[in-house]
Amino acid sequence: MADAARNVTAPPLDSGAAQARPVSGEPVEMLLNMGPQHPSTHGVFRMVLWVDGEKIVDIVPHIGYLHRGSEKLCEGEQYHQVITLFDRLDYIANFNNEHVYVRAVERLMGLEVPERAEYLRVILCELNRIASHLLFIATMGLDAGAMTPSMFCFRGRERIQALFEAVSGARMMHNYFRIGGLKEDVPEDFMPRLRELMPQIREDLEESDKLLSFNEIFLARLKDISPVTAEDAIDYGLTGPCLRASGVEYDVRKAAPYSLYDRFDFNVPTGLDGDCWDRYYLRVQECYESLSIIEQAMEQMPAEGNVLSSLGRRLVRPPAGEVYVRAENPRGEIGVYLVSDGSDRPYRLKVRPPSFCNLSAIRLMLINTWVADSVVILGSLDIVMGEVDR
Amino acid sequence: MNCVLGPDNILYDTVLFREVYNFVGQVLPCWLSWFVAGFVIIFLLVNAVLLGAAAFSWMERRLIGKFQNRLGPNRWGPFGLFQPIADMVKLLFKEDLTPGTADKLVFLAVPVAMVAPVMLMLAVVPFAKDTALANLNVGVLYILAVTSVTSIAIFMAGWSSNNRFALFGAARGVAVLISYEVPVVVSLLGVVMLAGSMSLADVVSAQTLPFIIVQPMAFFVFVAGTAAELNRTPFDMAEAESELIAGYHTEYSGIKFAMIQAAEFGGVMAASGVIVTLFLGGWEGPAAHWLGWLWFLLKTMAVAVGFIWVRATFPRLRIDQLLALAWKFLLPVSLINLLATALEIYFLRDASGVLTRGDLGIMTGINLALMAGCVFLFGSLVREKVRPVAPGLPPGVTPVILPARESPARDLPAGETD
Amino acid sequence: MLFQDVVFWLLTVVAVGSALGVVLIRDLFRAALLLVAVFVAVGGYFVLLNAEFLAVVQVLIYAGAISVLIIFAVMLTRDVQQGNPPNRLQIPAVALAALLLAALVTVAVDTQWSFLPEGERQSVELVQTAAVSDISPETLEQAGAAGESAAQGVGLADLLIGRFVLPFEAVSVLLLAALIGALALVRPRPAPQDARASGAESASESAGAGAAGSEAD
Repeated sequence: MADAARNVTAPPLDSGAAQARPVSGEPVEMLLNMGPQHPSTHGVFRMVLWVDGEKIVDIVPHIGYLHRGSEKLCEGEQYHQVITLFDRLDYIANFNNEHVYVRAVERLMGLEVPERAEYLRVILCELNRIASHLLFIATMGLDAGAMTPSMFCFRGRERIQALFEAVSGARMMHNYFRIGGLKEDVPEDFMPRLRELMPQIREDLEESDKLLSFNEIFLARLKDISPVTAEDAIDYGLTGPCLRASGVEYDVRKAAPYSLYDRFDFNVPTGLDGDCWDRYYLRVQECYESLSIIEQAMEQMPAEGNVLSSLGRRLVRPPAGEVYVRAENPRGEIGVYLVSDGSDRPYRLKVRPPSFCNLSAIRLMLINTWVADSVVILGSLDIVMGEVDR
Repeated sequence: MNCVLGPDNILYDTVLFREVYNFVGQVLPCWLSWFVAGFVIIFLLVNAVLLGAAAFSWMERRLIGKFQNRLGPNRWGPFGLFQPIADMVKLLFKEDLTPGTADKLVFLAVPVAMVAPVMLMLAVVPFAKDTALANLNVGVLYILAVTSVTSIAIFMAGWSSNNRFALFGAARGVAVLISYEVPVVVSLLGVVMLAGSMSLADVVSAQTLPFIIVQPMAFFVFVAGTAAELNRTPFDMAEAESELIAGYHTEYSGIKFAMIQAAEFGGVMAASGVIVTLFLGGWEGPAAHWLGWLWFLLKTMAVAVGFIWVRATFPRLRIDQLLALAWKFLLPVSLINLLATALEIYFLRDASGVLTRGDLGIMTGINLALMAGCVFLFGSLVREKVRPVAPGLPPGVTPVILPARESPARDLPAGETD
Repeated sequence: MLFQDVVFWLLTVVAVGSALGVVLIRDLFRAALLLVAVFVAVGGYFVLLNAEFLAVVQVLIYAGAISVLIIFAVMLTRDVQQGNPPNRLQIPAVALAALLLAALVTVAVDTQWSFLPEGERQSVELVQTAAVSDISPETLEQAGAAGESAAQGVGLADLLIGRFVLPFEAVSVLLLAALIGALALVRPRPAPQDARASGAESASESAGAGAAGSEAD
């Protein structure tokens, strides 16, 4: 079965996607509408499944239920105001989103960011990556039917978010990074709290890892489910853990180091089979890598210093020009294409959201699997609809 | 004896009925005391189900809370004990929705059809010596028969709701019920052979050693089958909430939902009682023999906690894996158990066909060894399919490494725009 | 005895009413549910006859297993609410039904219904076996004596393995044939494409499991 799924290549969708016929051409028993108000579609995603018994014959994905026109909205906001919009794209990894946007503007302006601010950004981004992956592990467990790991993971995520709240004043929509640095320095007890937090996160991770990862039933549900070959993964433009699970060692932090990532020593875990379990376990391992990056950053970070360059304090007016900046988000490679006409608002801003590109492979992955698998496979892609629909 | 509704009826065989009938009959006319006695039995059954359901729902929510590092309901009454009442009141006042396209008559009948088998099941469980509401001489078979009716109720719910998720849940639920009935029946044959009777009271008194250790394989098959028939994790196919929302009862709300839920929770308690009766020695226990009901209650609670514990620990299987488990593992194992038990009884029993405690001890040893063998054998068969390889360490495989392309942003400080 | 009479007539109303419903109602699903009601009512008759074993088996097999199979089959039917459209076989069907009715009535009238004395009610269910065969009451009592109070199934079992072993085995061969037939029916046809063949194969696996389950029941 698994081998068959590997060989399926999904034909292109008809132009009228709603009338897409099943690929096999045989009479199909039932059309099952999953979402947009389904508990396991991770937001307002809708899948129209053509099922033959419990086998999925074809699937038509429908997106756009959360479309807010973020990119267009950016054109009406000043550069600093755009940061809040980026918070709301991938609302699970806010710091990472803010980071890539402020880096785009800084690149356009040629701004130098104070070293301490950059270290703090990396620490916060990696913490956010762990928080995001913890949420992924939680929902993966829930999708497979295990309730308890989700609670353990949420406890860890809650601890991280408490630290975020101490830093920025908000648990999720931080609006903390500024063009040229940070809004303000971290509170005085930041480092002690972080030092206290690190072993706790490691403990939470190990706990849910022990409970879930090698559970026989969990393995049966995830292993060999919907394997994606390296070629397919590259063709479909998968990035992030979904790509690396297929055995492609590609991480923007390594391939094109940005920010301070060339100063840290960390591994890029890769999978072998590209199945759901690899996509799951890879993220667990990435959490440990992130912990090691944070530890190194804590050692290297200057204890004192400015966190906002003087240019960033003024009204930001980048020179006319365009820039494309990318970064490794928890979900994959995010790209920001920014065009400036010299005014105080972006002329055009385009985001390449990793969730959206990863989701494009859903048809390839779902055909010829079971209905129950569809939930697990969608969960293993780890989509955030705020980012897909923008 | 000239009474119209006199004692000459099948209900009179029931100890409780007879006691109440004779007691009330001292003052009341006999036809009235007949109704009173019947009413007492029905009252006990209904309330046993409701109380069991309430107790189990409280236990489940509190315990899962503990398992998951949270509090669980703790506001109403000591330790949140009155939470089930609050739940019930809330559900009573909720709007009772019926889908417009539903088959209304069948839709309405489902909650009744769900609750009835649970009550019927509880009727024969002896919670202390000579205290079953009805002591049937075919008790074991009766329980199997009554639980099999649940599948029709599930089907009625799934079909009448006119909802595809409900239909999926129903189809799965019925497939599971049919598949798991076979190993469950076969596993119980060993117990029946050992007891030499299908009466639950006889099964209990035959347990000089609890059958859980004499019949370990039958116990595990029976518990797994019961979990599947009760829709408990990891076998809760019919209402797998992550894919089917709520399965066959997706469309139910208000008091109908409450009844279905009561049937499920009460069903767990009833099934725990059956497991205790068949495998854990029923009312037997140390200390005074009039404390039997207490031992029975404690053991039932322990089994119910086991169900909760499993739910808090395990993910859910997929439907094909679940059916494969029934046909490829549980059925062969239960058949092996049946064969082994039959041979052991044949060789160990004395001339009058009686098995001593020592005989049971010998059987325990053989069956435990057999179970270890079976688990090892089938376990190795299953394990071949699942081969977890930790990512990052592929043995002897070099990963595809994309050339580190130059970041376009690097050589794009500021270009011209239109 | 009035209690038994009241229950008997109640059961009869349910059984006959439901049976009429099975035939007359157009909605196939409801008809199948009414069939379950008939089965349960017949189980009630067995209880009245003090044949608890047969009653329980009736519920277990007919209400629990066979009716589920029927409902499954109903589900695969198109237009459940409409029932079957009339077709050209109406007249042969009437003739066949009349013949069957005649045969049943003849058997019921001709049979030497024998009653056991009050004290030996536990072997009453064997009377039904006797009604359609020619066993002498002595055989019955010998067979029934083993099951004094423990299990009434014992007498039946002895009869099945002893006297009626040949029909018993013939039935098992019939079931085996049905099993093989079911497997042959759901066997995948040679599929033109590779990818589809594997799907059909696993589909037939589960269908085969279902068929096997029904037979094992």
